[in-house]
Amino acid sequence: MLVSALLLTNSATVYAAPNTFNTALPVAKGQYVWREQLVLRQRSDDGPMDRDVSVQALGNVLGYGVTSKFAVFGAVPYFFDKELDVTLPFGRAERDTDGFGDISLFGRYTLYQNDFTGGTFRVSPVFGVTAPTGDDNDRDSLGELPRPLQAGDGAWDGVAGVVTTYQTLQYQVDAQVLYRENGRHDGFALGDETRFDASLQYRIWPRSLKGVPGTPGFVYGLLESNLIRRERDEIGSGTDANSGGTQWLLAPGLQYVTRSWIVEGTVQLPVSSNPNGNAIEDDYIVRVGFRRNF
Amino acid sequence: MFTRLSLLLAVLMFSIAALAADNQYVLGVDGLACPFCAFGIEKRLNKVDGVTDIEIDIGDSVVRVTLQEGKTLTEEQARQAVKEAGFTLRSYAEAEGGSGGRDSQ
Repeated sequence: MLVSALLLTNSATVYAAPNTFNTALPVAKGQYVWREQLVLRQRSDDGPMDRDVSVQALGNVLGYGVTSKFAVFGAVPYFFDKELDVTLPFGRAERDTDGFGDISLFGRYTLYQNDFTGGTFRVSPVFGVTAPTGDDNDRDSLGELPRPLQAGDGAWDGVAGVVTTYQTLQYQVDAQVLYRENGRHDGFALGDETRFDASLQYRIWPRSLKGVPGTPGFVYGLLESNLIRRERDEIGSGTDANSGGTQWLLAPGLQYVTRSWIVEGTVQLPVSSNPNGNAIEDDYIVRVGFRRNF
Repeated sequence: MFTRLSLLLAVLMFSIAALAADNQYVLGVDGLACPFCAFGIEKRLNKVDGVTDIEIDIGDSVVRVTLQEGKTLTEEQARQAVKEAGFTLRSYAEAEGGSGGRDSQ
């Protein structure tokens, strides 16, 4: 009842392109890709409890190319701080936790691939699970923390979707549909989530590749869109009326891409929100980080 | 007579140099469109015996592979390495001055 879903991760992979979701670009056989992403997330509601949630976390992801078409990824967030400020009958209270969250393992298979000179088009299903490895019963002086505030949700969750990528030397477009079914643990389940994501990356430097030898670093300007629908959280035999809803976020950003490194940053900002009741919604999400090939 | 000898010597030296030169191949690769993707091709081609250098001209979608003397890169090896990196071999040719291979297109 106190807070809505506070999930940090959204199955963002490590390979190139979008900063807020997946891509269908390949990971070579035997290749590793490592990603670190610092996430600063601010959430709030408009209800009488005046809830504010701030999350400072590091997303850690490692990918590996099993074959040229099948890649596996492991991801785990570390929460430096996951804090809730809320108005209770006795006044304003601050509750927080930290530590590692739930580990996600997922795979991506290239189902369709059409390569051409200077570009490619690919379609890849994505599927995975999240294991209940994070602490889901942390307590403070007020008792056990609300379930959505815990570092882990205590249940096995499943993820399935499809991502598609159209890439040329000048620009790249990615789109994704992803469904996340959250498991139930100890009488509670976070609401399931459906998301529609799209991303456009446009090379702004070098402005032209004519006469440019080798493989120079690219600077991309990017604009990403995330439409996210969350169902209500389940509590006991009912649901939390003040949880879930629909939110549309836009994220402008920049990427510097070399053969071995990507350095990137985006800010996700809400364009429109339709929360259920007084559900908590995102105010902004800052994502900065890097990716490394090896 | 001296001119003839000089010419013969020059041709001989050029031939020896050509024989001793590393083998170079030029691969056309489809699907390659960003720097980060190029790394996978380098990683796979570096596993081929004798590869000493790889240069990728991303703007032309071309990969230049250099092998040490006496080593060769067959078209099948090139196709396999590019495929394992997740891309498609468009063309295969030995660079001018090399000692083996052929143009596949």
